[in-house]
Amino acid sequence: MQITASMRFAALAMISTFLCGAQSPPQGMPASTAARILEQATWGPTAATIADLQSKGFDAWFAAQVAAPITTYPNQPMLNSSGTGFTNLSGVQVQFFENALYNPDQLRQRVAFALSEIWVVSHEGVVSYAAAFPPLLNIFQNDAFGTYSQLMKDVTLNPAMGEYLNMVNNHKSTSTSSANENYGRELMQLFTLGLNVLEPNGNPVLDANNNPIPTYSPKTVTEMSAALTGWTYAPTPTGGVSPNLFSPMVAQQSQHDVSAKMIPFTYPNGTTVNVSLPANQTAEQDLEGALAGIYANPTLAPFVVKQLIQHLVTSNPSPAYIQDVVGVFNTTGGNLQKVVYEILTYSEARNGDSGVANEAGNFGHLREPVLLVENLLRALNGTVFDSSTIYNYTSNLGQSLFNEPSVFSYFSPQYTVATGPTTAALAPEFQLHTTQTAVSRANYIYSAIYNGQLDGSTMFSIANFVTAASTSNAALETLISNTFFHGLMSSSLTTAINTALSDPKTNTATLKAQAALYVALTSSEFQIIH
Amino acid sequence: MFSRRRFIRIGAASVGSLALRNFGLLPAMAQSTSDYKALVCVFLYGGNDSNNTVIPIDLPQATYSEYSNLRASLALPTTSLTTARTAVDGHNYYFHGDLVELANLFTQGNLAVAANVGPLVQPVTRSQISNPAVIPAHLFSHSDQQSEWQTSDPTEQNTPFGWGGRTADQVDLQKFNTSKFPTFMSVTGNDQFGAGVNDQIELNPGGNLNLTGFDYTLAQPRSNAINTLLNTETGLSLAGAANGVMLNSISDAQLLTKALTGVTVTTTFPTTSLGAQLKQVAQIIKARETLGMQRQIFFCSFGGFDTHTVELETHRTLYPQLSQAINAFYTEMNVQSLQNSVTLFTESDFSRTFQPTTGDGSDHAWGSHHMVLGGAVKGNKIYGTFPTFALGMNDDFDTRGRWIPTGSVDQYGAALVNWFGVNASAVFPNLATFGTTNPFSFFS
Repeated sequence: MQITASMRFAALAMISTFLCGAQSPPQGMPASTAARILEQATWGPTAATIADLQSKGFDAWFAAQVAAPITTYPNQPMLNSSGTGFTNLSGVQVQFFENALYNPDQLRQRVAFALSEIWVVSHEGVVSYAAAFPPLLNIFQNDAFGTYSQLMKDVTLNPAMGEYLNMVNNHKSTSTSSANENYGRELMQLFTLGLNVLEPNGNPVLDANNNPIPTYSPKTVTEMSAALTGWTYAPTPTGGVSPNLFSPMVAQQSQHDVSAKMIPFTYPNGTTVNVSLPANQTAEQDLEGALAGIYANPTLAPFVVKQLIQHLVTSNPSPAYIQDVVGVFNTTGGNLQKVVYEILTYSEARNGDSGVANEAGNFGHLREPVLLVENLLRALNGTVFDSSTIYNYTSNLGQSLFNEPSVFSYFSPQYTVATGPTTAALAPEFQLHTTQTAVSRANYIYSAIYNGQLDGSTMFSIANFVTAASTSNAALETLISNTFFHGLMSSSLTTAINTALSDPKTNTATLKAQAALYVALTSSEFQIIH
Repeated sequence: MFSRRRFIRIGAASVGSLALRNFGLLPAMAQSTSDYKALVCVFLYGGNDSNNTVIPIDLPQATYSEYSNLRASLALPTTSLTTARTAVDGHNYYFHGDLVELANLFTQGNLAVAANVGPLVQPVTRSQISNPAVIPAHLFSHSDQQSEWQTSDPTEQNTPFGWGGRTADQVDLQKFNTSKFPTFMSVTGNDQFGAGVNDQIELNPGGNLNLTGFDYTLAQPRSNAINTLLNTETGLSLAGAANGVMLNSISDAQLLTKALTGVTVTTTFPTTSLGAQLKQVAQIIKARETLGMQRQIFFCSFGGFDTHTVELETHRTLYPQLSQAINAFYTEMNVQSLQNSVTLFTESDFSRTFQPTTGDGSDHAWGSHHMVLGGAVKGNKIYGTFPTFALGMNDDFDTRGRWIPTGSVDQYGAALVNWFGVNASAVFPNLATFGTTNPFSFFS
């Protein structure tokens, strides 16, 4: 059935009525509110997208984002022209940056990227064919507003994940060898449940000795691994190249462990629940049973929700924030569309719309390199051509796109910084932030502003700022504030910019615009998106 | 000129108030020694299957034929091994064939093997391991075991700081170094090993910390403005943390550039990642006097060791890189006449199951064998005890040959730290749990 424009608008009206939260920002919201929402929900606000959100109001804007055409990654060839394996991922990497810069399904892309940072498949040293990545990335794109259980199934059977964590061709144990535990373990530890059971508010449950309680044991890993045996690549189509990296994996019953399995889990209430899979089931039945057993554990929702909040809004969500969103997860069957709506409209996400004073002291998060570069591109009328090597720049900042150093992603959700002599805060992106990368970050900002580019195919324009600078310092500062700080740039940053502008050598509109931008964009006030 | 905010980056630790135990930091003592010492940690990320790194041939509890039988598809034939090496105990050992440079350093007497080391809360036997109170937290989890090797805190409750960082803090208290340049340097990004009260410095191999267009005298208004911002409270704690990192960079950039100017390393290093890291370390060591350093700790890393499948093939790629890079480093230390002053050692998440997986790899295990290299090391020797090569017996955590360690990370680190000139008990508060005899007497 073809979706017509009128059907789409009717659907939008229905969805926005259904979703309308009493507190979601309405039509006519201030530009600063719109800009700040777009900082959280897109790859960066622009004048056009700010105006669009203001005119629609949040609910209709959200519905339009869900309905927007889904960015899709086209298939890559398996072989290069000389007939050897095509392993160069740069084409897919550049597509990512172009999609983020230009395509309208911004929120979906942000959510998909967050999911890819949880369900890690890395090109680094393991999954070498470039062709492995588009089908995987398309799963994240298509499932971004679906259910978490669907995502679990789709990624589990994706061949790139199969290759990365050995879900593919994991044969049942013999008397002298065991089914390998790689996917069975990391599926639980990193993608669904986490190491320790959590309250609905994200706090670890503590035992009588004040210690966290492990969610699973070595036996869980062994039994889970047995349950997940017996999958292989789908048959290669006629004339195609094997392995088939484009279709979901298929069962290979002869390599499936058909013994009875008892998979023990601990639940947040402290009880042990054994997921029992009877003997002689098919690989599909055991897979369904194992995934359902994982999904049924109440600790899954807080484990997943907290990370989504960390990627979109703040590294340190309050227990109340997590619990509220977990409630939505649990009452909607893990519906990510509804979960993301709640993440963005909950008061803790929106309090800062009216000023930093309304945010908790540890609110916000460091812009990860990919987000930083995209924010600059969108704010500075950036252009990315296919020959861009933008991926090398984020790599030098510690984040090589799709080349996570391990299944533990670019950075850990538990990474922590001290914020005082006896206090600490979660700050996952800081795992990439070192004396080296902090300097490189500033130097790339310098290059974008003073050279107008990173490489010749990754370009930035400060023309609007030069025009403002030729009017007055105040006009320049206002434009910087509206573009990068949702209109709420601090007085100390304004003062610092004025100091920079007081240099007698900074005597042209261009030099003024550059100096002001450099001070603003290297400031920690900008680096911490809040 | 700059006020350096010290915001500690403490890695994966529990949030909330940092209950930092008093680790018995010694009162500051000025050092009168004029010798230089450096420790270089090479962390093998993923969990190196050290069962195939060094293989005993004729120990009473562990023979090559038992190895061959049990390791099945993972058993290396003699054609994939070095020639047998006779250690000082009269027993013979193979090394993996692609580690021939390290085997030669072993035979030469400069490389030692520490057998069956791992995080331990206390010495533990197979009958006790079902009691969670006496075994490390989250055994077999990559992130936890990496953390426990780097902090030597197997409970993960006592400290967020690395034992390298704690050692660097002692160096600071004991005033070994004459400048404010950090004692601890990583050439591989962030790490928990160097987390401590004092900040570590991170440098990319071949990199520098110079800010383009920045006037370090602050005479230029734009640079002055930036410096003011870096020292201004915004009310955002993460912004303060970011400021701290940049202030550290600014503090260290000029001295670093000055120290490295004109300093070249003459040995040819492999152009691999580990080669580049160790070459950078060698260059910094060569610049130590300008940097004002008498004691330094370095962190390097090498990943890819999580060999659940096709392990033999993967080691054929990784082990030559490991061996050649370390060999080049030791050669350069000799060129600089510092071989007795610099000790390099390995760590890893864990070793791997003696029994293979159906994919011709191995799963996560526990006790692992490591290498310690330097002119001060009494090499050609195995320190510690190899496990019995039998599945499901006393040395096995379960039935797959996950060896229960017989030496602790505390003991392993203590030997290195004592040689380094810092009191190991100040760094490893749990050391006394393992008794007064340290099997890892690499230096005495």
